[in-house]
Amino acid sequence: MKINKLISKAFILSALFLASCSDDDSPQLPKGDYENGILISGEGSGAGTGSISFISNDLTTTENLIYKKVNTNELGVYLQSITFDNDRAFIVVDNTNSVTVVDRYTFEDKATITTGLNKPRYMETVDNKGYVTNWGSTADETDDFIAIVDLNTYAVDGTIAVGNGPERIIESNGKLYVSHKGGFGTNNIISVIDLSDNSVETITVGYKPDEIFVNTKGELVVLCGGNESWTGNETIASIVNINMSTNTEVSALTFADGEHPSLMVLDNGMLYYELGGKVYSIDEDATALSSTSIVESQGYLYGMEVKDDKIYLLDADFTDLSELNIYDLSTKNKITTKAIALGASKIYFN
Amino acid sequence: MRRILIVSIFYIVCFNGTAQNDSLVNRLEEVVIQADKKLKKHSVGYKVITLSDSVILRNTESFTSLLRFNSPLYLREYGSGGTSSASFRGTSASNTAVIWNGININSINNGQTGFNSLTVSLFDAIDVRSGGGSLEYGSGAVGGTIHLSDHLQFTNTKQIKNQLKASLGSFETYRGLYKFKFSNSKLAINSGVSYNQSENDYKFLNTDFKNTNGAYENFGLNASVAYSLTKSSKLKFYSANYLGERFFSGELPNPLSANDKYQDFSHRNLLVYTLEKPRLSHEAKFAFLTQEYRYFEDRTLSTFNFGKSKRYLVNYNVSYSFPELKASITSYSEYESAFGKTDQITERNRKQFSQSLIYNQNINSLVSFDAKLRKDFNSDYDVPFTYALGIKVKPFRNLFFRANGSKNFRVPTYNDLFWPGQGNLDLIPETALQGEFGIGYKNNQFLIDIGVFYINAKDKIVWTPGGDPDKPGVWVPINLSEVNNKGMEVSLSFNRTFNKHIVKLNMNYSYTVATNKATDNQLIFVPKHLLNGNLGYTHKRFSFFYQQLINGKVYTTESNSNDFVIPHYFVANTGLDYKLLNLQNKQLTIGLKVNNIFNKYYEVQPRRPMPNRNLNFNINYKF
Repeated sequence: MKINKLISKAFILSALFLASCSDDDSPQLPKGDYENGILISGEGSGAGTGSISFISNDLTTTENLIYKKVNTNELGVYLQSITFDNDRAFIVVDNTNSVTVVDRYTFEDKATITTGLNKPRYMETVDNKGYVTNWGSTADETDDFIAIVDLNTYAVDGTIAVGNGPERIIESNGKLYVSHKGGFGTNNIISVIDLSDNSVETITVGYKPDEIFVNTKGELVVLCGGNESWTGNETIASIVNINMSTNTEVSALTFADGEHPSLMVLDNGMLYYELGGKVYSIDEDATALSSTSIVESQGYLYGMEVKDDKIYLLDADFTDLSELNIYDLSTKNKITTKAIALGASKIYFN
Repeated sequence: MRRILIVSIFYIVCFNGTAQNDSLVNRLEEVVIQADKKLKKHSVGYKVITLSDSVILRNTESFTSLLRFNSPLYLREYGSGGTSSASFRGTSASNTAVIWNGININSINNGQTGFNSLTVSLFDAIDVRSGGGSLEYGSGAVGGTIHLSDHLQFTNTKQIKNQLKASLGSFETYRGLYKFKFSNSKLAINSGVSYNQSENDYKFLNTDFKNTNGAYENFGLNASVAYSLTKSSKLKFYSANYLGERFFSGELPNPLSANDKYQDFSHRNLLVYTLEKPRLSHEAKFAFLTQEYRYFEDRTLSTFNFGKSKRYLVNYNVSYSFPELKASITSYSEYESAFGKTDQITERNRKQFSQSLIYNQNINSLVSFDAKLRKDFNSDYDVPFTYALGIKVKPFRNLFFRANGSKNFRVPTYNDLFWPGQGNLDLIPETALQGEFGIGYKNNQFLIDIGVFYINAKDKIVWTPGGDPDKPGVWVPINLSEVNNKGMEVSLSFNRTFNKHIVKLNMNYSYTVATNKATDNQLIFVPKHLLNGNLGYTHKRFSFFYQQLINGKVYTTESNSNDFVIPHYFVANTGLDYKLLNLQNKQLTIGLKVNNIFNKYYEVQPRRPMPNRNLNFNINYKF
């Protein structure tokens, strides 16, 4: 690591020197050790801290606990998600009520936001403001909110009250779309927040809406996992498409009784979803779910991404290092396996 | 006076025909109170460490710190004052039984005792017994048992003793204790109240944070009475009550996120009738115990999660002795009805009848042994026979060999079985087979005991997030196929008086290799090395002590990844006492104790720093 840094510093200096000599053909400067690679976030557990692992794009090097190595302190549990803007990464850790801001390429600490958050989950950045979904006190279903963070000062300077258990948050056309999985309970709404006046509208969908994407037709695609049988109120799971101008449901693909998918990815017009450890893919316009899986996880499939004809699956372990398995989507063959973060849950391409 | 007492107790132990001299009655700080006669009698071949009153008074801040600095147990504590559990020899917290005046008081909901929910200073003696042979207190204590005893003794003349202790310490810590003892030839009364309170807002070393959510407050009231009905029969009543409220510390990197609160209440009542004839003795016990906790996820709200339990217990034991053989046979019959519920689990009732037989014999004062057999009839489970054997051989005056072996069972707890969405009704009881061999040397000044142990546990119950393939990521209890624990325990004590200087040294060292047979890796949260030592020095009115703990590195992942460990730590406490008043029946001592004297940063659980250097000033008045 240190040698790496030294080399990169030397390289930057020499590059600057060279750059000053020739104006036309300035070489691409490396922005840090963690550029051009895959970041995996792990939630952590009682067994170890939430952490981030780095895998180089050529898949030859893997480095675990990169935040801890650069900054010597820990992120804590449970690390939910990372959001990026130009050169920053915002690491959301729910149990410690914190969002840690780092340089996304060097992972050097810039700030940690510790006030104004209460069980933060996901974040979206719009015009140098961060919008963070918060469950609030888990014993109170009416105090859930979106925290508005000023990304110049890293202070929470406003909140928007929303329904119970806000989860994912994405921005589209000046509006924030928030899926309400329901926190420790369950919920069945999508909040739509108009950023011009922070007014909130809700759309009712199936129970436990989680992942949300905007498809190529400009529809909001929502994965609703449904209530599991142990909740005592089992409901059906579905993939719902919503017209974003009328906020009404335009189509829904429903799962069979007892089936509860938990992961979905939209990539290049294709929807990939998980069910019982297996991954299925359908066209985003498909009118039926698939009956044949494309790949099957060997462990507990807890995170998934698709990029450049490869599918990345996380087999999570909460008492030990997890596994990242990468498959070639055309051949369905496994390309490689990596031992990464404890409780690995999310994959980001840096 | 003190010497006379020690001598008389020594004689009682040596010349009492059937009462076995336990392998390791040490810690002769003042008077070792033979509080639980049966414990001593039925511990042949086992190691028992007695923590006397003065040792207890040295670590009154918590039961956790008392055991951490004075016993071979490993204590997991979620921040100072938080949830705390104890384990022996790499076994789990639910394999450690806490016995109060002969009654197992582990919670029926989680099978454990929270070691920060017990008032230390109210008990007269605490014994720590390693090994799985305590079958008369249930078969689940694979690791060992901790015995809390109230000592009721009749005296020929009327005696009244009072003790008042008050202390004041860093982080706004206040403690008060008052104990009263009355005794005459017919009646013995023992009672005490204690109150502890602390802001506990210590600074987290090397950070800008303080332990802002760590305050605690607790109140304890114990009372026990013994009445001599006739020369041979007695009636005793014990009651121990505890009320506590604690806030649970936050974790780094943002401890400010913690705002949870925990309250617990317990009421324990026990009535005992004894009838002792030269050959035959009877004992009948009736107990009623209740426990309740309330967990507030958010201290500002009135909503909480709770667990409640109540237990009724009837116990009858009868013992017949054969003086000519120096032997005795004892039968324990126990019926228990336990009701447990939480806000998640509707009330369940578990009934159990158990029958144990214990045969105890001392052959030619050279070999003594203790054989136990137990059978439980449980309303939820089939529990097979369990057994234990302890042997002690004393070939020479000061040298002894001891050996013991046992088979233990632990049935799943209510939480293991019934927790909604997580409990596992397919669990089967844990089985453990174990053996220990020890060698020791003891004279008036010096005692050493070295024991090696081996435990093979099958179907061990562990909670893991990967346990149920249909519910991935959900923490569920499962039976782990096989776990082997082996290691060594060494105890050492040394007492020496020259001129007016008294030096005392006690040490415990344990080496534990606990491996999951499937992976061959060390179990998580089991330190290989654990060492504690206590050095005391007294000269005239001054006394000084120094406590040292060395806790080895602990792995927190099954693969034993070095990225996820709790580093080893060294912590030391020291104290100085001065006797302002030193009369035969009036003693006033003032003392100063410094905890974590070298101001070391250490964590017992990840991201939860323990207190920095702190002071405690105390006054102890006995009259």
